Amino acid sequence: MNWHEAPDMRNWILLLLLLLEIATFTFLSGVRFDSAGDFTAYFQSYLGDLITQSTPTLLLAFGMTLVLITAGIDLSVGSMVALVGCIMASFPGNTEFWWTAVPLGLLTGLTLGFLNGALVAWLDVPPIITTLGTMIFYRGLCFVVMGDLEKAPFITVPGYEWLGIFSGVIVMLGLLYLIGGPYVYHSRWLRELFMMGGNRIAARYAGIPVQRRTLQVYTLIGFLGFLAALSFTARNSSISAGSLQGFELQVIVAVVLGGTRVQGGSGTLLGAFLGVMLIAVLEEGLRGASIWGDTYLPFEISHLEYIFLGALLLIGVWVSNIAHQRSRA
Amino acid sequence: MIHGRLDYRHRRRIYFLLAGNLLLLGLIRVLLKEGSSFAEVLRRAGPDVAPVILAGLAMTSVIFVGAIDLSVASIIAVAGSAFGVLVHHDQPPWICYFACLAAAWVLSMWNGYLIRTLKIPAIIVTLAGLPFYRGLALIVADLGIPDFGGNISVYDAAYHQPGKFYAGWILLATIIAALIWEAFGRTPRQWLARGNSEEACRLLGMKPERILQSAFCAAGIFLGFAALIAVTRLQAIEPGRMLVGFELHIVGAVVLGGTNIFGGEGSFGGTILGAFFLYFISQALTYAGASAYFQEAITGAVILAVIGLDCAIHRRQKQLDELA
Repeated sequence: MNWHEAPDMRNWILLLLLLLEIATFTFLSGVRFDSAGDFTAYFQSYLGDLITQSTPTLLLAFGMTLVLITAGIDLSVGSMVALVGCIMASFPGNTEFWWTAVPLGLLTGLTLGFLNGALVAWLDVPPIITTLGTMIFYRGLCFVVMGDLEKAPFITVPGYEWLGIFSGVIVMLGLLYLIGGPYVYHSRWLRELFMMGGNRIAARYAGIPVQRRTLQVYTLIGFLGFLAALSFTARNSSISAGSLQGFELQVIVAVVLGGTRVQGGSGTLLGAFLGVMLIAVLEEGLRGASIWGDTYLPFEISHLEYIFLGALLLIGVWVSNIAHQRSRA
Repeated sequence: MIHGRLDYRHRRRIYFLLAGNLLLLGLIRVLLKEGSSFAEVLRRAGPDVAPVILAGLAMTSVIFVGAIDLSVASIIAVAGSAFGVLVHHDQPPWICYFACLAAAWVLSMWNGYLIRTLKIPAIIVTLAGLPFYRGLALIVADLGIPDFGGNISVYDAAYHQPGKFYAGWILLATIIAALIWEAFGRTPRQWLARGNSEEACRLLGMKPERILQSAFCAAGIFLGFAALIAVTRLQAIEPGRMLVGFELHIVGAVVLGGTNIFGGEGSFGGTILGAFFLYFISQALTYAGASAYFQEAITGAVILAVIGLDCAIHRRQKQLDELA
């Protein structure tokens, strides 16, 4: 069997690429290990930091994969997370925050996601246009709520910090990817989403409740946006109306890099996870290799991140397209 | 001529935008305070909206053929970097302007070439171009200016001519040329044909790849002028941060103008009116004393309302088409 015939093999290749990337950047960062203990301690803290900082992207990559599978897209995720965060930030940071701001944040996330879904499902507005409009609209609402201020009530909320540290994010991601992931993977629900992405009209005639599924997927993104807002605000302690600009494209790039097709009908959650990690390692690695870059390169090494990101995406999709064509031939 | 070619749905959108623009202008006229001149508002509108309209025309061209360009802002950043580096090295203004135009044109052509040869959807190629060109802009600045600290200052007024003095005229000339070309030219119709059905184009003996490339070529020219005006208006060019998110606002204006995002339907006139409509809304809000914070939310709400309403009205027809 050729590797392109089995999506699992592609995930192995992504994993290999990830390990190669980690090894290269560890070498470039100039870290040297004297003992096995050093090695373990370094990678424990490295992976911990990596996962903690990419939690919002990981959370939304889950939802974005599902929405891309249905041949939809959600460009509003960055604005959505920022708006949930801004609304929560307008509450004072005390114990009451947990039963005022947090439930309101949840409700906001669900409502924003539902609104996207309703426009796509009920009014038949193409998803790219709906979420483009809501991206601008939600970002505008962020400015209405916050103005030019940057607020940080999160630091003083008892226990809130936990959501941004390793143990907190592991619980969140574990529940989503280790329990939710396999459950979704084996569900009839996911197969219905695949069918909607393959052919929407055929799916409707096959008795799949297309409108309801569309609503569910976009509302799920709203819920994940709420979780991402919790994790982002807990880690960064503050939020402003301009936070998370360009986040949507970061999530889409990661998911597509993981092998999900934007035309719909194909994609894996594991691929999305690996796609996010590839980008996070790249970002972190280039930051760590700044001393090496200053010595050997005539330009700022961190600027290479954009170049690699674009090139990785293009090459990834190109290779996956060739594989797809061959497997159909 | 072009009027007859547009379907009734698009024509209705054009009338709506025309009426909306006139209404908004009337509103602005009423809201003007003592001492402010309406002529001044009109005179300022052209230069202010020029980069949006010119980039919008570029986006419209590529959307006509069924593609999209999400990298327009990053391409403008590269053009800005090239311009800034040459200004830093005291090159004459015309060379700097030419470099700016050429950078935008070359990168737009490159996008077309990649889409054509790699057979990857335009949304992916240009999504990859978005960070790639941004990085390229930063690296060009790094290499061209030894102690580049994030922005390139351009103080000499000689380098600000296109953006500050001739923006309105450049816009007017481009709009007239684009509208005449659209009405009488063959190429824009070929773009629309390809946007409708690539296969039908091929069966008719046309060359879809060449049509696609010609759209990116024209888009490069429009984008070059957009970049020239956007860049020469600035005192400090920030290649890493300038115009972030601009591409989606442009798509918003194009879609509001009635162009079908999936290609094959639309008009340059719609894009121009759509961009003016969004601009006049923000101006009317400013004159009405609304907080600047509301403007973005209202822009988003207007795009959603106009397109949502349009889709809702045609929903029944679309479902019947499915059955046919």
